[in-house]
Amino acid sequence: MLWIALYFPALSLDWIERRFPKMLIPAIAVTVRKRNQTSIQQANKPAQERGVMAGQPLASALAVFPDLVIMEQDPHEERKALQQAVYAALRFTPNIAMQNNGLIAEVSGSLKLFGGLKKLCQSLNRAVTAQGLQFSAGIAPTATGAGLLARSAQPGTVINGKGEEFRILLDALPVNLLESAQLHLDVIRGIGCKTLADLRRLPRGGIARRFDPDLPAELDRAYGDSPDPQKWFEAPEDFQQKMKMMGLVENTALLLVPARRMVEQMCGWLASRHAAVSAFSFILHHEHSLRQPHKFTPVNIRLSEQGSDPAHLMLLLRARLERTKIVAPVCELELTADEIAAGADSNLELFPTVQSEATSLNRFIEKLSSRLGPEAITGLKVVSDHRPECSQRLELSAMGGLNRFSKREAKAQIIQPESPRPAWLMETPLELKVQRGQPIYGSPLKLLAGPERIEAGWWDDAAVARDYFIAENDQGQLLWIYRERNPVEKDKGNKGGNWYLQGLFG
Amino acid sequence: MPPAPLSLSQIEARFKSRIWRGNAWGASDDPVISSGFQELDKELPGGGWPTRNLMELLLSAEGLGEIRLLSRALGEITRSERNILLVAPPYIPYMHAWEHQGIDSHRVVLVRACKPAERLWALEQGIRSAAFGAIIGWLPEASQQATRKLQILSRTAAGLVFLFRPARAQFESSAAPLRILLNPVRGHSHTLSLYLLKRRGAPFVLPVRIPPPQAAIFSRPAELKPVLAPLTN
Repeated sequence: MLWIALYFPALSLDWIERRFPKMLIPAIAVTVRKRNQTSIQQANKPAQERGVMAGQPLASALAVFPDLVIMEQDPHEERKALQQAVYAALRFTPNIAMQNNGLIAEVSGSLKLFGGLKKLCQSLNRAVTAQGLQFSAGIAPTATGAGLLARSAQPGTVINGKGEEFRILLDALPVNLLESAQLHLDVIRGIGCKTLADLRRLPRGGIARRFDPDLPAELDRAYGDSPDPQKWFEAPEDFQQKMKMMGLVENTALLLVPARRMVEQMCGWLASRHAAVSAFSFILHHEHSLRQPHKFTPVNIRLSEQGSDPAHLMLLLRARLERTKIVAPVCELELTADEIAAGADSNLELFPTVQSEATSLNRFIEKLSSRLGPEAITGLKVVSDHRPECSQRLELSAMGGLNRFSKREAKAQIIQPESPRPAWLMETPLELKVQRGQPIYGSPLKLLAGPERIEAGWWDDAAVARDYFIAENDQGQLLWIYRERNPVEKDKGNKGGNWYLQGLFG
Repeated sequence: MPPAPLSLSQIEARFKSRIWRGNAWGASDDPVISSGFQELDKELPGGGWPTRNLMELLLSAEGLGEIRLLSRALGEITRSERNILLVAPPYIPYMHAWEHQGIDSHRVVLVRACKPAERLWALEQGIRSAAFGAIIGWLPEASQQATRKLQILSRTAAGLVFLFRPARAQFESSAAPLRILLNPVRGHSHTLSLYLLKRRGAPFVLPVRIPPPQAAIFSRPAELKPVLAPLTN
């Protein structure tokens, strides 16, 4: 067993600070009420620079710095922030237990997948830091031991107690880290016990009788002498996270940081359920007021193929957010996994195969349609019709519309005309000027071949009667032009209708 | 004692992929896809369209036969079940005609983007994606930085990258290692002449001629009835 424990020393501050954009963090202090007196429990860096210190009564802190932002300690919010850190860490191991101000993760099963302890540690570090939380970490073969090491570490550092030196490291830890020793710290210090090693040298029975029966048991668990069962965090059935903003945000760029945090939480949740998301919605809640009617703006994203990669999901969300107009200031964000499907991402492949190409095509389509709009990327479906404008349909290729129908069916749709067809078609036929009976496009056109008559569509309302010619101009362009025929007026001596350019032989 | 200096032939042998003589073709490790035209393959370094490189095709107007020039390579790509991406083509591709030239229309993906920045972005994404065997983009105005960026990206591309640009761009510098100017041949309708403006290796001055397609259809004088203008050659 190998445990990584994370300890969040400044959780009560972090959950407030991370709601601000990084550049705009004010001086904040968290207060706690004890026996009719409110005192500062923790102050952040800007506040400490102004002279606000932990333990100060609130009144004196305000006297030092009147503009201090004061928040009361909120265990509920702290718990929520801790839970979000657990979500982020679930990507790396399913076995995570929540503790007071910390979490412990059992990682022995994940080492190989993530490329060893060092890499795993780095990824975990990055994921939890991205949630806007400060922490210190400890690695040990026992859960309690890892927790003790994490508590003793400086913020932002890791103590690696894997292997031989684990007991030596534990021996040197101060007694005040032990949970069950908190009430008896004065006495224990008074009898000359400073470290865990000192405490272990005393007779067990005596310690249990004088201090706390749990004290020797906790020591045993830390050193691995007795079993240490954990209650694993269980991911809920569905994912819905809300995040309040500290101010009103009108700029999508400022939403990206919290959005990324939420997407990473969702991906952790997905990983723990061995699932991938196929549709999710990101909802921007607006401040409720009588003047503006919009309560929220939903951003619904549907994936052509389920995915659980935070970078990919974030890319889609970001592209959509950039196109979304924010009608009113945003005060809260919400992310919901609407549809999930079993099975995570496909296995990694060494060489691209047809299967992986289809996947990357789907990804490409998603990426483009989320930035340029779904109508920007299409395939063309051939239809058996001799009228050029009816002979193919743009097919929106989002949602895997490409390659859906069978090849044989498609081959049957291709018309086999007598004369060649141009590679390019005009959006609408372009009427050509006529000079001395000769159509002009760039220069007078020379007819090379034709006519080929296309008379079709009498069965629907778009009947055409045209004589097609292949023509060339001085630039060397080969053109597909036609003259309209009107069968009714033909007898009246009308020489023929207008000339139109419909295609180019590319 | 310092090691003996390498002889010229030793140097050439050792740095084979990085040194080429000015009078010979550049040999490169990039796999090629045959253009399907022997005359052209002979003149292209490596003997075909090189993958992992940006190729610029310059032409004064559409409709000279540019798709026909690519059609055999594109057909080969779709037959090996890979996709073709068209970014911002100037007209709608007429899929029946593409099918006649042997290109599977279901493998063609069309991106329509108006703004130059969006076109460039879509092109970059296409090059980055592993999904395409050929990426063809139309960029009427492409800066030198844009072509440089595309060329760098193309080094990692999985397929052919073609860029169609107007003929006037031949006077601008470009990072593409292969640049070809497409011209019609006067008097021979739909014969293309290709000037290799730039290639790895010795410059090539004479144009390559690509014969007209479906020669039978275009040269069937018996069936051609000049309707308005007499056929003159």
